[in-house]
Amino acid sequence: MANALFYLMAALSVVAAVGVVLLRNPIANVLSLLFSFFCLATIYLLAGFQFLAAAQILVYAGAIMVLFLFVIMLLNLASLPALEDTGLALFARGRSGVTVVVAAALLCLGLAAVVGSPATAAQTLADMPPDGIDAIKGTPGLTEGMAGEMFGRYLLPFEAVSMLLLATAVAVVVLAKRNRPGLEVRAGRDAGSDVS
Amino acid sequence: MNQIDLDWLWLLPALPLAGSLVCGILHYLTIRARLPQPAAHGAHGAHEADGAHGHAPMDAHGDAHADPHAHHDDHGHAAAPAGLSALAPWIAVAAMAGAFALAVKAWLGLRGETHALESSAWQWIDTGSFAIDLSMVVDRLSSVMTLVITGVGLLIHVYAAGYMRGDKHYAKFFAYLNLFVFAMLMLVLSSNLIGLFVGWEGVGLCSYFLIGFWYEKGWPAEAGQKAFIMNRIGDACFLIGSFLLVRLFGTLDLSDIVGAVSGVLADPERAHTLLLAGLFLFGGACGKSAQLPLFTWLPDAMAGPTPVSALIHAATMVTAGIYLTVRLNPIYAAHPELMFLIGLVGAVTALIAGSTALVQRDIKRVLAYSTVSQLGYMFIGLGTGAWAAAIFHLVTHAFFKALLFLGAGSVIHGMHHEQDMHKMGGLRRHMPRTFVTFVCGAAALSGLPLLSGFFSKDEILAHTFAQASVGHDPRYYVLWGLGIATAAMTAFYTWRMVALTFFGKERFDAAHAHVHESPAVMTLPLMVLAVLSIAGGVLGLPHVFGVQHLLAEWLEPVTRSGDALIAARGEHHLSAQVDWLLLGLGSVLAIGFAVLGFRAYRAGTARDERIATRSPGLQRFLGGAWGIDEAYYACIVGPIRTLFFLTSVVADQLIIDGAVNGTAAVARTCADRVRRMTSGSIATYGLWMGASVALIAWLFLRGGGS
Amino acid sequence: MTVPSAHLFILAAILFSIGAAGFFLRRNVIVVLMCIELMLNAANLTFLAASRMHSLDVPGGRLDLQGPIFAIFVIVVAAVEAAVGLALVIALYRRKQTVSLDDVVELKD
Repeated sequence: MANALFYLMAALSVVAAVGVVLLRNPIANVLSLLFSFFCLATIYLLAGFQFLAAAQILVYAGAIMVLFLFVIMLLNLASLPALEDTGLALFARGRSGVTVVVAAALLCLGLAAVVGSPATAAQTLADMPPDGIDAIKGTPGLTEGMAGEMFGRYLLPFEAVSMLLLATAVAVVVLAKRNRPGLEVRAGRDAGSDVS
Repeated sequence: MNQIDLDWLWLLPALPLAGSLVCGILHYLTIRARLPQPAAHGAHGAHEADGAHGHAPMDAHGDAHADPHAHHDDHGHAAAPAGLSALAPWIAVAAMAGAFALAVKAWLGLRGETHALESSAWQWIDTGSFAIDLSMVVDRLSSVMTLVITGVGLLIHVYAAGYMRGDKHYAKFFAYLNLFVFAMLMLVLSSNLIGLFVGWEGVGLCSYFLIGFWYEKGWPAEAGQKAFIMNRIGDACFLIGSFLLVRLFGTLDLSDIVGAVSGVLADPERAHTLLLAGLFLFGGACGKSAQLPLFTWLPDAMAGPTPVSALIHAATMVTAGIYLTVRLNPIYAAHPELMFLIGLVGAVTALIAGSTALVQRDIKRVLAYSTVSQLGYMFIGLGTGAWAAAIFHLVTHAFFKALLFLGAGSVIHGMHHEQDMHKMGGLRRHMPRTFVTFVCGAAALSGLPLLSGFFSKDEILAHTFAQASVGHDPRYYVLWGLGIATAAMTAFYTWRMVALTFFGKERFDAAHAHVHESPAVMTLPLMVLAVLSIAGGVLGLPHVFGVQHLLAEWLEPVTRSGDALIAARGEHHLSAQVDWLLLGLGSVLAIGFAVLGFRAYRAGTARDERIATRSPGLQRFLGGAWGIDEAYYACIVGPIRTLFFLTSVVADQLIIDGAVNGTAAVARTCADRVRRMTSGSIATYGLWMGASVALIAWLFLRGGGS
Repeated sequence: MTVPSAHLFILAAILFSIGAAGFFLRRNVIVVLMCIELMLNAANLTFLAASRMHSLDVPGGRLDLQGPIFAIFVIVVAAVEAAVGLALVIALYRRKQTVSLDDVVELKD
């Protein structure tokens, strides 16, 4: 039954991804992506990575997508006239042929990597417990193990990433700040809509 | 061979060389003085076919004619330069006179037992095993040639002083003329083949200068080029021949070669090399002496002034080939097939040229083809081993052909540059002295009995007949037949020329043309040459007259070895009866055809017009020397032009330049295309990034994914 | 779940290419950023699938933790990138009143 669920979630996530690309309304795009993330979180869970599933929901779905929604609504994009042809009319544009080719190339390469690699666990191993990796004996649980690694071996990247977050916070504030007259660097009128 | 060392022999060619230099300096001064003045007559188109009338401050020979047609020349220069360039003929004539005097002195010194006079050598190349000197030897043969060159040359220089008066480049002309004489003297006086070749090339070069003297008109320059290039082909053959001689004998000294020939004949391989050497040298002679196939430059060379045609293309340069052959006579005497070939080439050339002269309208072209024809006669003589006869004909031909050319020049001068005989007629009333002398020359050329040309021509034909009958070589009947036919044609076209020019009604407007006799400076040389043409036969009276053949005797030391080789193959002397018979046949033929030609054209050009209308094809064929020139253009010049086009346009411009420019264009186009990549469109950038990622991933996978 | 790890990889590849196609094709900057997030998720899935694969390919198994840890970092960086990108979008909108990529050609020659 878990297998069937996996395939269902996989199909749904693909459909949602396609929806991200093809839908017109930006909010529809965001919601579609959100749905895709939920499906992926389920898949993570099924594969035994509970911590990641939680992180995915909390951070990706709960923070990043919310941020996207905020910005869209801030800029009032939904009410703007349609920016472009969407839907299948996307493919009528000039570059679309090359795009499809490149994307297809990427897909094929990925598949080829999978197919060609001898180490791929193409079949489940005979002695693998039906519950997946949870029942692997002698190993710490996922969260415990990850904490041990994170604050042990990967302490430096962890600290670096925290610095990165700090820098980002500062950068975002600076970038999105409405320009005061004294701070104006380039000539030009300020944004029409008052978006403080 | 007895030799005496001379220390003044070098003066003989040095005098004309010095004259040339001085005239050259005079010319330079004249040009320089002319420069700052406003050029009132800048156009050179004023000079027409053959010189212009003009006033000159120095008119030393009393030409009393005022000239109302003085619009043709340059009165723009000041008096001083005109004075300077008027000095030029004096200097040139003085140089020639001095050379002639020295030639006479050398001739005097060669009588008796002395056979050669040698001058001190100047070492030119010394490589130990092979040394070349430039030394001069005058022997019996060279003395004859030298006398002809300097003597006839002197007369022509005097004539040219009057003919070229008023020309813009008066001094330059004499500089070139003297330079030519110097080169020709080097040719005949040199003791080895290298010095001879220096002179050989030198005369070719001066011929180019002088043919193209009026190069501003355009076609003389082309004619000069044509002459030079055809000569060049001959020169290449000459060089190959001399290489073979060096290989055979190890030396290029002429007397050494002549002495060593008989020693080579025993070995068949070396004899074969000797044959080839002779053949190639004959090829060189064909180029210089205008025989088949290298003769088409001579008629075109008539673009030069008439004294040039007289000196170079009648009396001297074209005789260099005959001189060379006689000088190396043992080489030819040793190979009867080669001799027959020489005779055949000469005979065929004589026939072609003679038939071409029948339909020419330009008086100078008649004489040009006649020259080619007579040179063919000389080669027929060489082909039968009649060395002395060939030289005899060379000498008499120099006399009467120079006379005819100078006379034609006088006619052209008097007719104000008209050269077309169809526009002449009845000139004997206007130009009596020219007429009389011209008739003398024509009589000699056509071989009327007892004149110089008669004896020389007949001697050659007699030798040919003897070779055929007594020598039991029936091939020579062909040569004899061709010679007879040519003699008939010669008489015909010669008197046709006389009739059209001097007799009949005047086909020009006598009232307006103002035809007049030439000044004394021009007619005096004509008269001297006329006397020589008439009386020159005494040099070579036939045996049956009971007297010595003076020239053959004189040249005996030179022709000894060749004669011996021929005699070894069998005597061939005609009996006295056959000799008289041939003399009579020759006389009848000459007189008969002369009368025919004269009467056909006495009334005017009607016969020519009839030929033109009834058989224009024949007219064209004959008029163009049997289409040989056209054949050259089609077969040689055409492909060379195509090759020129291929290399210069296709290979150079299209391919090479195209490649270079194309590379630049490709680089530019690529740069243009690539430049558009910086479109600023982020999506495009993204696309490129994606494609690059795909590429890297592919490479990674292919590489084994390490 | 006994799905072969290969299928997880395949899913990741499909998602990645869809995200790439969207990245190349769409003009709306925000949607482009979303496609980037999609691609990052596909990468995450790849890491996790690889971890699962390495955990399972020895008998008895040993949990491989590098995958999830890297995935955590990827999530963090994705968040950072999304934040900065959206801040840029806001700044862009303030300057040009547009969010279409076609109008942003200041890098042009």
